Amino acid sequence: MKNRAWWFLLPALAVMSLSAFIPLMTVINYAQYSVFPGSAPQFIGMENFADVLNDGVFLNSLRRQVLFSIEILLIEIPLGLGLALALPKKGKWVGWSLVLLGVPLLIPWNVVGIIWRVFTRSDLGAVPAIFNWIGYGAYNASLNSGDAWWTVVAMDVWHWTPLVVLLCYAGLQAIPEEFYRAAKIDGASAWSTFRYVTLPKLRHSLILAVLLRFMDSFKIYAEPFQLTGGGPGNSTTFLSIYTSRKAIGGFNMGFGAAVSIIYFFLVILISWLLYTIMMNVGGGSSQ
Amino acid sequence: MSIIDLQNITHVYQSGGEKTVAVNDVSLTLAEGTSNALIGPSGCGKTTLLNIISGLLTPTEGKVLIDGKDVTELPPQGRDIAQVFQFPVVYDSMDVYGNLAFPLRNRGAPEEEIDERVQVTAELLGLEDRLHVNPANFGPEWSQLVSLGRGIIRHDTTALLFDEPMTDVDPGRKLTLRRRISQAQKRLEVTSLYVTHDQHEALTFAEKAAVMKDGEIVQYGSPEELYERPVSTFVGNFIGSPGMNFIDCEFAGEDLKIGKFTIPINESMRDNLDSSWTGLELGVRPNLVNVYDEPEGGGEIPAKVTLTEHLGSYQIITLEMEDIGTVVKAELPLEEKTDVGSEKFIGLTPENIMLFHNGEAIENGKK
Ligand SMILES: Nc1ncnc2c1ncn2[C@@H]1O[C@H](COP(=O)(O)OP(=O)(O)O)[C@@H](O)[C@H]1O
Ligand SMILES: [Mg+2]
Repeated sequence: MKNRAWWFLLPALAVMSLSAFIPLMTVINYAQYSVFPGSAPQFIGMENFADVLNDGVFLNSLRRQVLFSIEILLIEIPLGLGLALALPKKGKWVGWSLVLLGVPLLIPWNVVGIIWRVFTRSDLGAVPAIFNWIGYGAYNASLNSGDAWWTVVAMDVWHWTPLVVLLCYAGLQAIPEEFYRAAKIDGASAWSTFRYVTLPKLRHSLILAVLLRFMDSFKIYAEPFQLTGGGPGNSTTFLSIYTSRKAIGGFNMGFGAAVSIIYFFLVILISWLLYTIMMNVGGGSSQ
Repeated sequence: MSIIDLQNITHVYQSGGEKTVAVNDVSLTLAEGTSNALIGPSGCGKTTLLNIISGLLTPTEGKVLIDGKDVTELPPQGRDIAQVFQFPVVYDSMDVYGNLAFPLRNRGAPEEEIDERVQVTAELLGLEDRLHVNPANFGPEWSQLVSLGRGIIRHDTTALLFDEPMTDVDPGRKLTLRRRISQAQKRLEVTSLYVTHDQHEALTFAEKAAVMKDGEIVQYGSPEELYERPVSTFVGNFIGSPGMNFIDCEFAGEDLKIGKFTIPINESMRDNLDSSWTGLELGVRPNLVNVYDEPEGGGEIPAKVTLTEHLGSYQIITLEMEDIGTVVKAELPLEEKTDVGSEKFIGLTPENIMLFHNGEAIENGKK
């Protein structure tokens, strides 16, 4: 290594390995042992992984997790894109609308939990009152699993759709005016213009939005934890809640480590799948 | 194939509190099937005028007529005008075939007709081999052909507008693209308007050219007219490379005086002049400046060669007339000996000069 620049990377590499590589290796190591606090670890090979994959609660959490992420993407991406399209492109309202949209993004996760707990309290919250008023009946997130589920979805949509809006808005602003002029000259309808000019030009912004929202929603923790602690029953027990319950609450570190690794690879695998699909969809064709 | 008629078009941009008059009372008629150019320096309002013709902009004042029909308020879709923009636009969500078919699909044309039109258009523009290629990675010259193709694929295109289409094209490829454009225009006999700030481009493409300055069209005529009879010093200077030479002069009742030198003029010109005038200028094209090695005895002005430039088949020399403190450019055959520093004599003859008063041409026989 003649290049002295490498030496300057050393501190960063050291921090990286301490903060990411070593813990990861530790987890991989743990996953092959039976580890309980207070007793010596015992090597058991792949047994933890087999246990995880045979655990009904794990499989249910995973199913719930996938469903949740699908719902989040199906709601937040079109909604965010629609809002971005509706925002003014120039003028004095641009700044105001962006600031207003950005507000939820600036709120720390624990405050989000508090806000929504107050919102949804059955005695004085606005949400139950509204549901009552429209004739839905008694809303109660801590008793009714459907109510809890959709409240978590609503929390996430409220919290993170603005991110999708901002990404799409930035993408929209980057499309040169000339494309829209040409589309007008070519007699394109509003829908054709959207379909053949706007949407393809937004592809990269949308891919980014989908990946960010997928990864984040797939790891959702704070919202269900703060709202109902994963309940009622296990109805909002997502993978992250399940994992921490097993590893920390259940003191079964080896099992928890195996869950973490499976979890980790699922995130990577699904992200890669989404990315590959979206990169190949809607390429140029004549039909 | 239509007549485009602009009547007293004015366009004012308003951004914030600031007003820019981009086009000022322009009237212009483009005859059916003719190729026209619009030339003028950057920022003079060419793009604005073009967008008004195609319907992308509605003028602040004035009317646009196509074949006598008032289309001022009509959107582009209602005008069937093709426009090729300065920066090439291709839809990279479709291949070349899809790009060409796009305007027809937007009108719901049957696929059979679309296919036929795509083949014909592709052949005309030399795009046949690229129909199923995505144009995303095309260079500007191919992209411009695709966007031209989208314009002419409709068989009822009323007019073809080009907005400096060569801006992004490599110098080496300009000729090919220009030839293709020109060929397509001739074959289709469609009324066209080609915007450029490059007069060479304009004059090779067009039968007639309009010269624009500060939002106004100062002259509209054939390339010969613009070259031989510019209406103002601006046009004289803008058309031709190098432009017309201008020399301050005075009218001395009989002849012109440039310093102590006397230049004879025609009888008919004399009638149009007034000896009280100031701001009189003599204009002469570089190719009409007579350059002699020895005085010919007719009031030639001595001058020293300060620069010679060889340009292929001729040379341009710069001569400094020290007695008057003015520089003149002359176009000469390559054989002529024109060493820098050598003494020459400049002859200005009545039939070769034009006169301008306060920048406006004084026409022979007309005041
Ligand atoms: N959208 C706009 N808003 C405000 N001023 C503009 C706008 N577009 C052009 N202008 C101004 O109008 C004048 C003419 O512009 P343009 O038609 O683009 O000229 P050209 O095409 O001859 O370079 C320029 O002074 C330019 O700054
Ligand atoms: Mg322009």
